[in-house]
Amino acid sequence: MSVLEALRVAWSGLAANRLRSGLTMLGILIGVGAVILLVAVGNGASAAVQQQIQALGSNLIVVFPGSATSGGVQQGFGSASTLTMADVQALQNRQNAPDVAAAIPNTQGRAQVTYASQNWATSLTGTTQDFPSVRNYQVAEGQFFSANQVAADAKVVVLGATVAQNLFPGGQDPIGQSVFINRQAFQVIGVLAPKGTSGFTNQDDFVAVPITSAWAYLLGGRNTNVQQIYVEARSQQAMQAAQSEVTDTLLQTHHISDPSQADFQVLNQADILNTASQATQILTILLGAIAAISLVVGGIGIMNIMLVTVTERTREIGIRKAIGARRSDVLLQFLIESMFLSAVGGVLGIVVGALGAAILPHLITGLTTVVSLPSVLLAFGVSVGIGLFFGIYPANRAARLNPIEALRYE
Amino acid sequence: MITLEGVTKVYRMGKVEVPALRGVDLHVDEGEFVAIIGASGSGKSTLMNILGCLDVPTGGRYVLQGIDVAELDDNQLALVRNRLVGFVFQSFNLIPRVSAVHNVEMPLIYSGIRRDRRARALAALEAVGLGDRAEHQPSELSGGQQQRVAIARALITDPAILLADEPTGNLDTESSRDIMRLFVELNREGRTVILITHEPDIAAYAQRVVRLRDGLIVADERSPAAAHVPEGGWR
Repeated sequence: MSVLEALRVAWSGLAANRLRSGLTMLGILIGVGAVILLVAVGNGASAAVQQQIQALGSNLIVVFPGSATSGGVQQGFGSASTLTMADVQALQNRQNAPDVAAAIPNTQGRAQVTYASQNWATSLTGTTQDFPSVRNYQVAEGQFFSANQVAADAKVVVLGATVAQNLFPGGQDPIGQSVFINRQAFQVIGVLAPKGTSGFTNQDDFVAVPITSAWAYLLGGRNTNVQQIYVEARSQQAMQAAQSEVTDTLLQTHHISDPSQADFQVLNQADILNTASQATQILTILLGAIAAISLVVGGIGIMNIMLVTVTERTREIGIRKAIGARRSDVLLQFLIESMFLSAVGGVLGIVVGALGAAILPHLITGLTTVVSLPSVLLAFGVSVGIGLFFGIYPANRAARLNPIEALRYE
Repeated sequence: MITLEGVTKVYRMGKVEVPALRGVDLHVDEGEFVAIIGASGSGKSTLMNILGCLDVPTGGRYVLQGIDVAELDDNQLALVRNRLVGFVFQSFNLIPRVSAVHNVEMPLIYSGIRRDRRARALAALEAVGLGDRAEHQPSELSGGQQQRVAIARALITDPAILLADEPTGNLDTESSRDIMRLFVELNREGRTVILITHEPDIAAYAQRVVRLRDGLIVADERSPAAAHVPEGGWR
């Protein structure tokens, strides 16, 4: 019997029990749909994180402080405050680090910014004049603060695009205006061009002030802590050299001879990307695995229904055997029937999963989904495989039926 | 053409052995119309299953058109059933929800024939007088019509023997007569027909009546002129 003929027979068998076939397919549909959707969510999260990391800047190296020890308990990495402005200056020295294009300190805080009747809660970045070039920002209006302003603890601020829109909603020119940051008056000297959203983070929702002013007026005065140092390498090729130069320089400035005792950590973008994508990959695998459980449940549903079908059609199987069907013909017929159920369920599941992945980001803000072709192909292959796997036992049972007993079956 | 030599069949029910056939010798020539008659439990269904290659004998030899059936494996038995045997059952055994013509076509599907399948099936339906019912499903046909479809299906592969197991058991008197006339006609055209029944007046259509009791042949009578109308008419 040809496969086409078996398909025709399988179709007539399934069409005879539409509701039952439909419900069985639903099991696979939900399973495949869930796999596609959840993997899309996982992929979306990992794409968002990657975008976020890449948006930090190009050829970027980040220096984090080491972990602090508090009462004998080692705190997490980045908890110590071992980086200083002197480190930044050492890295900017061409003799120490010839492959470093620029190095900027970064200190973060929260800020309540007010102008007239408007106010906006945002994040505060304390940094130096090289911030736009290292972090890939364009200045849209006015200018960024200068090295002199950094040196003079100038009370000047550059607004991110989102902050500017919210504080000056009437299209007013922010340049030259005085805003209050945590009740301290700062003069707006520039507005940054929007960079857009990356993952869950709006990259335009912050204000930048000279790090010295942040220390002096906004972060409690006595604090002269640098939370991270961003280092831009000269080029993609110079990344590795720059990274080792940064490490050597900082070991020197920190008077540490044994690199394993370093109280800081130097990561390049690829490292950060790797760490982050490992985490998101685990998320994706976890989501996929949960969804896969429902696929297995769907498969068991197919097996269940096929066993019922085989029992119901015992007599038909007997007739077919009496008129010359071989075991393999009967086996093929029932296998094709179960695979047909699971394949159609799988295709519908892919459609539903892809639709869900398209709709979901509109319902939940900040969520992105990426439907990947491999996950679609895998889900379809797995669903057909499930039809095959869970169909073999019932089909084999049908094929092994004794024709005499099958014909006698009522 | 059909030779049974000392055929025995023993069923095992757990540890008990139940003999159904105790040594049957039978020879049927081509073109014969043989009725095998016996009470229930006489072994006639077992004999039918063996003749139809649905089952193999426990002992003895069954040679069908020169083929020793005992030596065949499962697939070869299926092939023999497909090519050499045409079955007609008491309960018609058509496949439900499948049109008459497709039911008739079915044996050709399993024999791997692709060409002219439908045309041949239609011709076979025509031959049993059901050319106009080709697209009807079994549930839309009367008992007599269903049995005609079954006969058309049995004949489609041009088998060596036509095996009918109580073919009139589920039919009314008139349809029974029609079906038996069809068998007589087929036999006249040269078809070998083996009929299994427990009703003497149905057996009377055959030229030869073989009587089974307790798994043994107790009588084998030939009536040179076949009784086309049974004595005493129909019940």
